[in-house]
Amino acid sequence: MAYVAARGGEEAIQQAEALYRRLLGPLDAGLVRRLEQALPYLLDRLMGEGSLYAPELAALALAQTGGDLYEAVLLLRAYRTTLPRLGYAEPLEPEALLTVRRISAAFKDIPGGQVLGPTLDYSHRLLHFEPQEAPPARTGAEAQASLHLPFVADWHRQNGLLAPRPPDPTPGPEIPDLTREPLLFPAPRAQRLQALSRADTGGVLALGYANMRGYGAIHPTVNEVRLAYAEVRLRHPVTGAVFSAGRVRYSQAEVLTKFRPGPGGKPALELGFAATLGWNEVKLIAAAMLDAAMDQGEPHPAHTEEFVLSHTEPVEAGGFCIHYKLPHYVTFLSNLLAHQGQPEEVEDA
Amino acid sequence: MSPAEAQGRWLGVLARAEAEALKEFVEGLLPALEPYGLEVLENRTGLVMLPATDTARGTRFLVGEVLVAEARVRLGGSEGYAACLGRDLEQALAIAILDAALQEGLEAGRIRAYVEQEAARQAEADAELARQVAATRVEMETF
Repeated sequence: MAYVAARGGEEAIQQAEALYRRLLGPLDAGLVRRLEQALPYLLDRLMGEGSLYAPELAALALAQTGGDLYEAVLLLRAYRTTLPRLGYAEPLEPEALLTVRRISAAFKDIPGGQVLGPTLDYSHRLLHFEPQEAPPARTGAEAQASLHLPFVADWHRQNGLLAPRPPDPTPGPEIPDLTREPLLFPAPRAQRLQALSRADTGGVLALGYANMRGYGAIHPTVNEVRLAYAEVRLRHPVTGAVFSAGRVRYSQAEVLTKFRPGPGGKPALELGFAATLGWNEVKLIAAAMLDAAMDQGEPHPAHTEEFVLSHTEPVEAGGFCIHYKLPHYVTFLSNLLAHQGQPEEVEDA
Repeated sequence: MSPAEAQGRWLGVLARAEAEALKEFVEGLLPALEPYGLEVLENRTGLVMLPATDTARGTRFLVGEVLVAEARVRLGGSEGYAACLGRDLEQALAIAILDAALQEGLEAGRIRAYVEQEAARQAEADAELARQVAATRVEMETF
């Protein structure tokens, strides 16, 4: 790669930014508030990839970039680097999730039933041209009303289909953290799951889809997709009392592989898993499939941890792509001169 | 309920309370609390890292960071603390003042009544959400 230093152009750069802002229109607190209210799924995608749960700031990033998602993710990632890390929340325990949607494609009679929750999955994909009011709540299932829904995988475990889930006592500060240590391969599972949680939705989908479409060696079944609220539990620094500082939207997915020889040669199922801040089902289904695929030892790139995790990092991928817009005059000139067979005479790059 | 559990409960309820109403409530209490010496020790925004659990293999991993506002105050002989989601420093400060006042037993009746009223409102909101979610439970037919 060869770059060339450039001077001048300051006025043009200022005018370029001013033109951008004029075309975008005014930005005020009201717009940010409306975006926060109206586009929760877009904010969730942004916060998941930005690895920062802050709906107000995600809405601001969206407004400031005119909805350019890679730029908005970059703004969130950059902002987080300016803040101190006050500490680690208490580990989020699956059983404590306040679940609003939990479905399984593995079998219909899952413990707790199929709970559709807020979704358009079964609705016609039609544009509605009339204004729409939020429909009134119609409830009637009070007897079974609980936000604590059991885990399908626990049923598999009770029936000897899945290996037990051992407790992991690692305290927060000792969990591998790719924001503080480089990602090396093979990555610790904790880093793999962290990378998937902040991965680019489109990138994960592309590689996950490659797996689903036939480049993969597994044909997984969605064991569970879960949308939930999670309490962010902190410790009082003086008294040690544990309390919730509030709730975040959190989602996770599991996919089941086919039966494979397990420990002792007994056939067992395996689970792929992914979770993220915010609700983002398509990313999690694809990411959980990639998690399962990356353990299969197949040579295809979409099965390879290094390939998958390196190429689904949104800030690195987006940033590297757009860096090609910067002057590459020397690169091109050297190419041109090599083609013309006169590489020695370069007077002015 | 142990003292730590009681404190954990009030801090959680207050963190979820509507911020503007909460600030107004604390504003009204300040004249009664200030004679005991109110000192702000810390009031800042920052991040807390959220560890989560992989339900496939049990691995703990870091799912991302959460923006919080936190505050530490001293009131009389007690140190109050609060953290709440977002970056509203006044909201965190208001909760920390209530935390210190409850530990110190100052204006405890009024504050407890406020906490209980909020707790009831939040419990009803959760119950209503649970009812609405339960209404989406289906029995699938396969053929």
